[in-house]
Amino acid sequence: MADDTQKDTQSQAHKANDARPAEPAPAAPAAAPPPSDAPRAPEGRPPEGRPRDDRPHGPRGEVGRGGEGRGGEGRGPREGGREGGKRGRRGFYRKKKVCRFCVDRVDFIDYKKPEQLTQFIQERGKIVPRRITGTCSRHQRWLAEAIKRARNIALLPFGGAR
Amino acid sequence: MDERLYDLIFICRPATPEEEVDKLVSTLEHAAAERSAKVEKVEKWGARKMAYRVHRHREGYYVLLVLRGSHGDVIHELERRLKVNDAVIKYMTVRLDEDLKRQKHLAQRRERKAARRPRGGRSHGHAPAPAGGGGEQQPAAAQQ
Repeated sequence: MADDTQKDTQSQAHKANDARPAEPAPAAPAAAPPPSDAPRAPEGRPPEGRPRDDRPHGPRGEVGRGGEGRGGEGRGPREGGREGGKRGRRGFYRKKKVCRFCVDRVDFIDYKKPEQLTQFIQERGKIVPRRITGTCSRHQRWLAEAIKRARNIALLPFGGAR
Repeated sequence: MDERLYDLIFICRPATPEEEVDKLVSTLEHAAAERSAKVEKVEKWGARKMAYRVHRHREGYYVLLVLRGSHGDVIHELERRLKVNDAVIKYMTVRLDEDLKRQKHLAQRRERKAARRPRGGRSHGHAPAPAGGGGEQQPAAAQQ
């Protein structure tokens, strides 16, 4: 079943390029990698329908789903997904970023203190995005305003000057 | 009327003698006083390096004035004077009262929250205590 559909799509693709009919030998390995995201299936194997059918029901998929469920119970859904989903293959953890201004209870970010603002600009003067610094949206807004004010009065660079 | 608070920063050429800066500041203060605004603070930051070159200068003499007034006219006049002056290479005015109002509001809210927390936060899970008396009883019960 799956094999047939593969061939169909391949032949369609080839018609656009070549006058020749579909060649199964060279086209098949090329088509194999996209559906197979698993390291379990060796690449040299001819792309028969069978291994592909197995994969969605494989044990790895179940583990991933189970991990998500477990994480979701204890903590927020996003965190759980992150930890549970990726833990199996590569054990990487991401530390939860905290808004530094919230920790210090900052209500107003002063544009007249460039020393504090330089932590949040890149080398060329760009404002560091909040996905990197972990600043909350409200403080990022204030911060951006402060940085822009400081730029206007030459306390911070607009960029380029190096 | 609502009072407005402004920061007026200007940068002089680094070679400007100190007396000239003082003179300029005093004329600005006079001009502000004429228009019923008050200069609350004058801060001379002195010569410092600028983040980029302005009029081919790498350094500038920074002066900060904090103004309180009820009209924007003052700013208009002061900025005109700064524009005319040759020693001034850059200036900027920022209206701050709204930011400060927000700051005060947030601080107040946090205080109120902090004041509420000892009563409400401890007795978590129970019905919210309507009065202070209910909150006092619960910690005592927990100790027993």
